[in-house]
Amino acid sequence: MSEIRFDGRVGPYVPPVEPPPAVAELLHTDAAPTDPARFDILRHALWNLNIEHGNTIIRTSGSPVVVYAHDFNPVVLDEWGNYVYFGPWLQYLVAASSPAVKWILENRHDSPGIEPGSMFMTNDPWIGATHQSDLTVLAPVFWEGKIFSWVGSSLHHQDLGGTAPGGFNPVAEDVYWESGVIPPVRIVENGVIRKDLEEEYTRRSRMPDLVAVDLRAQIAGCRVAVARMTELLERYGGATLKGAMRKVQDDSEQAFAKRIETVPDGEWRSEAYLEMAAPGDRKLHRNTIVLRKKDGKLTFSNEGTDPQLGALSCTLAGWTGGLAAMINSQLMFDQLFAVGGALRRIEFKAEPGTLSSALHPSALSLAVLTIDQCIALAASAISKMLSCSSDPELREEIQSSMGSATFPIAAIAGADASGNPFATLLMEPVATGMAAWSWRDGLDMSGWPWDPQVTMPNVEETEAFYPLLQLWRRIVPDTGGAGRWRGGNSGEAAVIPYGVDGVQHHTASAAHHAVPMTPLFGGLPGSINRFLLERGTDVRKQLEAGHMPGPGEVRDGEQEELDPKAFGVPQGADDVFLLQWAGAGGLGDALDREPERVLADVRTGMVTAEAAERLYAVVLAGDDVDAEATERLRTERRAARGDWQRPDKAGGKGEVRDGALTFGPGLVHGRVDGKRVTCCSECHTELAPADENWKAGACRHEIPIPEANAHVADPARFLDDEVVVRQFACPGCLRLMDSEIVRKADPVQWDMRILEEI
Amino acid sequence: MAYLGVDIGGTFTDIVHLADDGSVVSTKVSSTPPRFEEGFIAGVEKVAGLRDVSAEELLRGCELVLHGTTVATNALVQLRGAKVGMITTRGHADTLPVMRAAGRAKGVPLDRMLHASRHDRPTAIVDRARIVEVDERMDASGGVVVALDEAGVEQAVRDLVAEGVDAIAVCYLWSVVNDDHERRTEAIIRRVAPDVFVTTSADASARTGEYERFAAAAINAFLGPETHGYLDRLRRGLADRGLQGELLVMQAAGGVAEIERAAGQPVLTIGSGPAAGVSASAVLGAQRGEADVLATDMGGTSFDVALLADGRPVRTQTTIEHQYEFHQARTDIRSIGSGGGSVIWRDPDSGALRVGPESAGAHPGPICYRRGGTKPTLTDANLVLGYLDPNAFLGGELVLDREGAEAGLAAVGEELGMSAVEVAIAAREIVSSQMADLIRQMTVERGMDPEDFVIYAYGGAGGLHVDGYVRELGAGSAVVPHGTLSTTWSAYGCATSDVMHVHERSLQLSSPFDAATVQAAFDDLERVATEQLGQGGIGAEQQSLERILEMKYPLQIHRVEVPVPSGPVTAEVALELEKRFAASYEALYGKGSAFEGAGSEIVACRVTGRGRLPQPQARGEEIGGTLEVTERDAIWPGEDGPRTLSTRVVPIDAIGAVDGGTVEGPAIITGPTTTVVVPDGSRVRLDDQGNLELRVDPTPVGAGATTATAASA
Repeated sequence: MSEIRFDGRVGPYVPPVEPPPAVAELLHTDAAPTDPARFDILRHALWNLNIEHGNTIIRTSGSPVVVYAHDFNPVVLDEWGNYVYFGPWLQYLVAASSPAVKWILENRHDSPGIEPGSMFMTNDPWIGATHQSDLTVLAPVFWEGKIFSWVGSSLHHQDLGGTAPGGFNPVAEDVYWESGVIPPVRIVENGVIRKDLEEEYTRRSRMPDLVAVDLRAQIAGCRVAVARMTELLERYGGATLKGAMRKVQDDSEQAFAKRIETVPDGEWRSEAYLEMAAPGDRKLHRNTIVLRKKDGKLTFSNEGTDPQLGALSCTLAGWTGGLAAMINSQLMFDQLFAVGGALRRIEFKAEPGTLSSALHPSALSLAVLTIDQCIALAASAISKMLSCSSDPELREEIQSSMGSATFPIAAIAGADASGNPFATLLMEPVATGMAAWSWRDGLDMSGWPWDPQVTMPNVEETEAFYPLLQLWRRIVPDTGGAGRWRGGNSGEAAVIPYGVDGVQHHTASAAHHAVPMTPLFGGLPGSINRFLLERGTDVRKQLEAGHMPGPGEVRDGEQEELDPKAFGVPQGADDVFLLQWAGAGGLGDALDREPERVLADVRTGMVTAEAAERLYAVVLAGDDVDAEATERLRTERRAARGDWQRPDKAGGKGEVRDGALTFGPGLVHGRVDGKRVTCCSECHTELAPADENWKAGACRHEIPIPEANAHVADPARFLDDEVVVRQFACPGCLRLMDSEIVRKADPVQWDMRILEEI
Repeated sequence: MAYLGVDIGGTFTDIVHLADDGSVVSTKVSSTPPRFEEGFIAGVEKVAGLRDVSAEELLRGCELVLHGTTVATNALVQLRGAKVGMITTRGHADTLPVMRAAGRAKGVPLDRMLHASRHDRPTAIVDRARIVEVDERMDASGGVVVALDEAGVEQAVRDLVAEGVDAIAVCYLWSVVNDDHERRTEAIIRRVAPDVFVTTSADASARTGEYERFAAAAINAFLGPETHGYLDRLRRGLADRGLQGELLVMQAAGGVAEIERAAGQPVLTIGSGPAAGVSASAVLGAQRGEADVLATDMGGTSFDVALLADGRPVRTQTTIEHQYEFHQARTDIRSIGSGGGSVIWRDPDSGALRVGPESAGAHPGPICYRRGGTKPTLTDANLVLGYLDPNAFLGGELVLDREGAEAGLAAVGEELGMSAVEVAIAAREIVSSQMADLIRQMTVERGMDPEDFVIYAYGGAGGLHVDGYVRELGAGSAVVPHGTLSTTWSAYGCATSDVMHVHERSLQLSSPFDAATVQAAFDDLERVATEQLGQGGIGAEQQSLERILEMKYPLQIHRVEVPVPSGPVTAEVALELEKRFAASYEALYGKGSAFEGAGSEIVACRVTGRGRLPQPQARGEEIGGTLEVTERDAIWPGEDGPRTLSTRVVPIDAIGAVDGGTVEGPAIITGPTTTVVVPDGSRVRLDDQGNLELRVDPTPVGAGATTATAASA
């Protein structure tokens, strides 16, 4: 791979750390030390101009996905394109704007030039966009003849041409099948939009009017932000305002440094699979994130990730952006969306030519789905790292596997009762279960942790615009994984055509139809994504007879499961479409969950009585817990783990006294009689020498996935490989410590290594 | 005849008595939760004392008692509501509990929005187990998909009653288009369980979007029995003491409503206290001939802002309470945590000086209150700068601790290299900037320029800080209303309110508009509005109706309110609507923002019915007390740092006697409950109704002070 140039053409653009001389002379860098009495005023002023930028877009955009699903975000960057503030909307969208600014500075400063009143737009994923549908618009702010800073936004445009309406084409063989790639062009000159470039842009779209409205919304937003920044400059001067920007970045770096200081040097790894890259593909494709901490810095790499394979792949810009979104939410939650300083201490290393750093001309249109999974993997790796932190408060950010770790796209198209064509996506899967934390249950149907404002549409909004009737939409019990802390449940929506004879379905999904995400520390997995059609049911008859059928009440049908990449599947008047989306993982051993909590979940309908007994070993007697029977059953279940495959060498016992470091699923790392070992923190059984995988010393057992979550249908539906849940228990106290969801043939994973001398 | 305005807040109950000669007396007593009516009666007795009559005499002389109440708000905050059942469309029982997945972060401040591990849904106001599904279904055009299963409804009601519910919310999909099933269900409940409080989603909110409508209905049901009980006890208590006039209740949309309406829709009263303050500002604006006003209210814990455009409070259609979002017209009041009790602190992470959002509240309160407060607040800053008189606070009831305040500020300044005085001046500058930011956001995002507005400043701390944010905004002038009334401003707003009801329905019309359809929609709403006002005893000549259409471009999401003239909606009027809409759209969202290619749409129509009440115009209150002008040292920001200037202290009633009614700064104007800070270069004048007009020197003064600090830091 040594011949790859990181210039944003074939390989991804990787900017230099410092601006080259020809660029440096254009930049305003004069920064005065910040007056502590004024910093708060300036900080708020910078923050507010970014919010005003975002609100301007919301008010002027035409897209429901922008206004309701907040599929956009504004950003403030310094003169050399380093982040100052993200906006509070969809986090990963602008996380590719920094390389875009740097590319523009390097490649556009001479021609056509960067001037006051210029704005650039790009959707080039090899430079600075997540995928082609997300257009980034960037505007320089000038002060005393130099580039003082940049403002911009990224926004999902509804259709930018290519072979598939809406841009998602699972069978695209390369990028030329998809929406065109636009490297940064100067769309606004001297404050005036270039009509020729605007039409060049909108002409490619199936929805040119809507695209024009949204482009103008982005331009209007930049205009407002540039004007506000200029007012601040006129009032406070360049050096003072730049000083405040630098301080926002420095404070963010400090806060980040302080947090990772509590973590020892080490390596944490998380893995998941992408599924069915194209129709007919029955293989799994590995997606990996390796997180290392050394010398006060973090490195994220994608070592072990499979080669790129078409539309599922994403580019370095998208991958980095996704990871930055999770870092912001899990490590920088109190820094008011100022992730820039933290990024100074983080390196992103992705092997080019892989699923998470594809080379041109790879197809990319489903990249966002893969980015979703990369974010979930980052959360898992960061959680493993945080489990080694000496700061108990920071350990409260540990979370298991999130729900809807890739968003399942269920698109419905057809003609409405008047014969007008329509197409829509069911946005319900944004209402996903949240992962269990290390100290509390995950919230049911509450969205991704990194996207705090995402909102599911109302049924009435869907039915007002499309010829559909939603029979039900509900939280489904047991879709969240069991555990000491329960994963959040996800949901299910049932839809029939209404006022028309039928509609067509197009699906596009990247993963978790066969294999759920691996949960954390012995928790059980959440459910999977599914597209189901119940064909030829009695639904119409029931409606006519005066009954709204609920879940399980639709009869006489035959179930058909749609592929994650199905095209044009018809749904007739008597067919019911059922969309199910993946629940979140639990955390910790379900046998350790207080029976009262299980009972409370059964009472609120979040866990079924069947699952209470099967997964939690809680025996219910009428409306209450049978404490004695529960205790008996739990003892039995625990004892059964003693029959699992025992470790080759039985470990001794010894309490770690010196240099103890507690981490992971109740492991302790330290010296016993001078030896460096990893022990169980509960019963002190020695599991392995400290520089070996602790799992070698655990009891091991494999179960089919449906046993861990009854909502997971047999993966053999879609896969040739056998996939199992591999569980690890302490040979001493028989506590369930960890699990991995892997191909049966794969070796045991070594996913947590502490590299600091204890 | 006289009018009594009573506003009950969480801490204080304010009472204003407006006599038919326009004379006003006002006072405050402590609120008495949860039996708020006791504080109400105590307040009546106190104000009667000020008029030298008995409470019974005072009440007998009152034509109307107009009342703003926090009873519903408090019940919601403290979750002291009813045991609620909900009856809903089969298949959709999870609508309310799921909250569109957004509930965990709704209303959460931005600096906590990313912290997902700390997010939670609010405590449920309807237990999931008491949400019962029945067979019924409408489609988007109001057509019946599944008929209402009346037997099923009756069974559901009996089951809920057996569970012990005391309120039921009826929440069906598409009731906003066809409410027949909700109405029939309501009738069944009234028949089967006449003691149970009932509310329907279509009554609670007239908008498409089931979650927000169900949320409004659930809140209504939750608060219904409590509010109903309170108003009933209050009405009887007042009648027992001689009141023959009517009791009317303030609403968050502005205007008062009949007691039955408020008891049936308690959600209308949430936030009605601040809305009453905005109404009072509208009354004052009308008197002073000022139509565009920024109404600002600064108290101990927060700073609230509302707008009056063209003399009318600007409203919002969306509210978040207890993390539930719902749609209902109400006065748009936005708030930040900047009040007299806001804590001044050094942020250890950034090393920067910060003010708020933490508030010391009334307990322990600022350091200078000597109630155990250890963190310096804005009140401490104002004391150290000499703007507050330590011996004259609350009429001398509380002697303030200046040394303690100074020590507290000095401690914050220590690591910043700043003195106590520098910290105090910088803290005032920081809050001024926060307050100006809030005002700018509210105006600019509506396409308005804050410089076009007159600022009214009321509330206990309003006068102390108004010079700061007026200067930040470049607005030039402000009015501190009616001397003492400025701290009982909401009660005054109640006393001077009109009756008001808002009626709304969703529409779906595309241009070119059919004039007859628009006319028919307004006819319907106006008939209901007229009837309702008539039932409230408002004669036809006192009634006025205001028509609004909500319009949008087909390809855009945001709606714009377009006023529609009274009289027949002709084809010309319909055509004119499109033009007005386009003009308002560009005014709001900027030139070129409109996408005009595909015509426009009407999505809702609204009629506001007003009933004018015959209150007299109020005159300024005589304060009495000292007229003696004194001098003391106060510290002011200046080019080269803080300056100590000998500063005149002028009692409000003495202004007329000094300099022909105008006082030049630096000066401090004092009243029994307010203080107005008049910096060097600014001046204040008393108008003939007793309002203070502040003219602020436009050059920013703070700059020099902080530059000097930077040099020394």
